Order: sequence, then C-alpha cells, then structure tokens
Amino acid sequence: MTPFPFPDLTPQLIYHLAGAALVGIALYRGATSSDLLTRILALNVLSVGIAAVFVAAANRGAGAVPDPVPHAFVLTGIVVLVAVTAALLALAERIDLTGAKSDD
Amino acid sequence: MIVFDLMLAAAILVAGWSALSAPDRTGAIAGFLVFGLLVALSWVRLDAPDVALAEAAIGSGLTGALMLRAAGRMAPPAADRVPRAQRAAAALLACGLAGGLAVAVMDLPGATIVYDPLVRADLGQSGVSNPVTAVLLNFRAWDTLLEMAVLLAALVLVAALGPRGTPRPARLGPLYTPFLRIMAPLSVLVAGHLLWLGATAPGGAFQAGAVLCGGLLALYFGGALRPAAVPAGPLWALCAAGVAVFAAAALAAEVLTGTLLAYPDGADKIWILAIEGGLTVSIGATLLLLFTGLRQGGARA
Amino acid sequence: MMVLTLLGHLLIAGGVVLLLLAALGLWRFPDLHTRLHALTKADTAGVALVALGAGLLSGSAATLVPLTLCAVLVAISGATTGHLIARSALDEEHASWRSTRHDSV
Repeated sequence: MTPFPFPDLTPQLIYHLAGAALVGIALYRGATSSDLLTRILALNVLSVGIAAVFVAAANRGAGAVPDPVPHAFVLTGIVVLVAVTAALLALAERIDLTGAKSDD
Repeated sequence: MIVFDLMLAAAILVAGWSALSAPDRTGAIAGFLVFGLLVALSWVRLDAPDVALAEAAIGSGLTGALMLRAAGRMAPPAADRVPRAQRAAAALLACGLAGGLAVAVMDLPGATIVYDPLVRADLGQSGVSNPVTAVLLNFRAWDTLLEMAVLLAALVLVAALGPRGTPRPARLGPLYTPFLRIMAPLSVLVAGHLLWLGATAPGGAFQAGAVLCGGLLALYFGGALRPAAVPAGPLWALCAAGVAVFAAAALAAEVLTGTLLAYPDGADKIWILAIEGGLTVSIGATLLLLFTGLRQGGARA
Repeated sequence: MMVLTLLGHLLIAGGVVLLLLAALGLWRFPDLHTRLHALTKADTAGVALVALGAGLLSGSAATLVPLTLCAVLVAISGATTGHLIARSALDEEHASWRSTRHDSV
C-alpha cells in the first residue's frame, strides 16, 4: 500500500462514509426545500446513499468475492425507486397544475 | 489508488449537493446525472458491476430523463420559505442520523455477512454462475416477482394521473434517422447479449430491459414509435407479461416440484432464462410507458 | 507483450489528456457552440483512445472487440447528440432574433 496518514483507510470505509454523508445531505434538503422536484431528487439521493452503504458493506476488500445478497437488494431497490419516482413525478405534475390554477 | 477513491467520494458528495441545491431545475438535474454516473463508477471500484450497470442506466439515465420531462411541464421552482429554526433543526437531525449510520455499520464488522456462505453452498445448483442472478432469479425469486408487480402498479398510477397531450413535433434534423438505423437494432442486440451474459457475468434482465427501453425511447423521439396511437390493451398485455410469465413459472414449479419457485433439478438455467426473457420485454415496455404515458380509452388522446 | 503493454499505457495516457482538454474547454469556453466544439471532438477521441488502450492491456481479443464497439458507439451517439444540441440552440437563437415563436413552424 502507498504510505498515507491513515493506514486503515480502505475504499470500503471511504464509500461507506460517503454513503452516510449522502443520507445526511438528502434528509436535510428533503426537509428544507419547498420545491416538489427537489424533494423527489432528495429521495433519489437518499436511496443512493443507503445503497452505497449496502454495496460498501458487501465488499470484502480487493481480490475477495463480494457478498451477492446486498447487491441483489440494491438492484431491486434501483428498479423500485425508478417506478416510485415516475409515480411521484406524475403526482407532482398534477399538484403543480392544480396549484397554478388555484393561485390565479 | 486510495487517493482516487478519496477524490471520487468527494466528487460524489459535491455532485449530490449541487443536484439538491442548484437554483434552476436543469442545473439540478444535470447535477443528478453526474452524481449517478460517479456513484456507478464508485460501485465498480467496490466490485459490484451488476449494480453499477443498473445505476448508470436506470438510476441515473432513465430517472434523469423522467425528471427533465417533468421539469419541462412544471412551473419554475419557488424560493425556499423554510424558517431558520426549522432549517437548523433539520440540519441537526440529518447530521445525527448520518453520523449514526456511519458509526453503526462500522461498529459491526461481519454483521452483513450472513447470507454469503448460504449462496456459495448452493450456487452450483442454481443453474447460473453469476451469484447476483442466482439470488435474484432463484434463491429470492419471490422478491423479484413482487418487484415486477410494483413496476406494474406504478404504471397504473402514471396512466391514471399523467397528463396526455401529443408529443412536440420533432425537428431533429437529417442526422437522426441514420442514428436510429444503427442504434435501434443494436439496442435489441445488446439487450439480448446482456440477458444471456447475466447467467455467468454482470448483466441480466434489468440491465437488458433498460437498454431495450433506451432503444425504444430513441425511436419514440424520432417519431417512429407512438404509444399514444396504439390501443392501450396490447400495451398493458406487454407490460403485464413479466408478472404473468413469472407467476406461471412459479405455479408450474409448484406442480412439478411441490415448492413454489423451486425449479426442477438440472433445468434451472432454462427456467431462469425463460423468465428473464419475459421480464426483459416487460421491463423495457413498462419503463418506456412510464416516460411516455398511456392513452386512456381514447377519451383524452 | 511488452510492446503491447507500453502501447496500451501510452494510448490511455493520451486519452486522459484529451478528456482533460475537453473538460477544460467545457469550463473555460464562453458559449454553447465553442463548448460543444471542445467537448464532442476531444471527448470522442479521448474515450476511443482509453478504450483501445484498455483493450490492448487486457491482451485478449474477447475484451478488445467489445471495447472497440463501445468506442464506435460513443463516437456515433456523441456526434448525433452534439448535432442535436447545436441545432436546437440555433433554432432558439433564430427564434429570439426574429422574435417569433419557433414552435409555430
């Protein structure tokens, strides 16, 4: 390994922490944004953050075969998320439409 | 290489933040696309190529396309009107949860490694050698069957709610038709390749379905494919085919082996490929219709 | 084998330089058309060089062929999307210049 101030730093740990940070960012923006589209984006980022934690947990270091079960969970999650996103966007468009009418 | 991982993780966080804080919608969605691709790259670094493929194609590409289409139809975003105290509370809670998540999983080395020995012990009997495909289509096929039902349910909601309207007249220029002539057949070829490859290497029904959807979308933008002009019945049948094939396979397996979704010995691979074939077509069609919407009985064409 | 490895590394290095130039152009150039100019050419060539280099490094035809196919596909779709973006931008500029609605055409 290359000499580095933190000898215990592995890709697994780095992406695990990044995933946790993404969860934080997404929760904050989801709670503080008043724009529907931003909130849907926040839900997507939240889901990717949790998936990153899963994928990092499945990793067993360079060379070792990772655990396939978390990978299957995340794959299922990605497909379910795109279905949920499409449904939420249809709802958001409808809310936007009725909101614009009632504001006039 | 650890330096590369650090830079990539930093870039992911910056892209994720810019996706959620850009003032204009196009900027936010562009940030989200970059974010998705960088995350896919990081998952390749973590030896998860199956998941990375799905994230790049579905989580980033298709979701981005859905977002852009919705952004084009919605009014520009209003400024955030959240009081300072509420923002501070949200920041505190979000930091606490993120920190808790970071510490919790770090404290439990090996806690997630529960299923792995089970998968390894039975992989030889699963009919495929890609462990992710074995989990999705054999060991936990139940999950995947229900996942297809979720896709169908989302399509029902989108069809009931989504605005119709005819698509804008396409002014795509002389280069687009030759592009389509290459890409549309190739997308079918690549989808078939990914489907076949999924048994032994990264790939499978979901990645193949996403590629198929990409080819269909290219045709849709070129005006060669108009779901709104097709009667809704056959389209619904196409989208329900995945669930139908899967459920029929589950029942047939019940009759043949006495257990739901336990395929007959030695024939696992054929069963898995047949189910995945149905899933691919169905996923491609469903993802396309989630984007384009469906005609409702001709009432609002 | 040594020559192929060296050539592979050289191709990847060249590709990375081109990709860096494309990013620099995207960042520093003033408007959409000059940015597209930097992006489409340097990007396509950069990806092609990296793909070829990686294919040579792998040392197997079964890896080289799909990678080459990827580079060709990136070239085709890069050229087409670049054309589409420039075209729609020109349409909009035209429309604002004549101050007419271009979707009425």
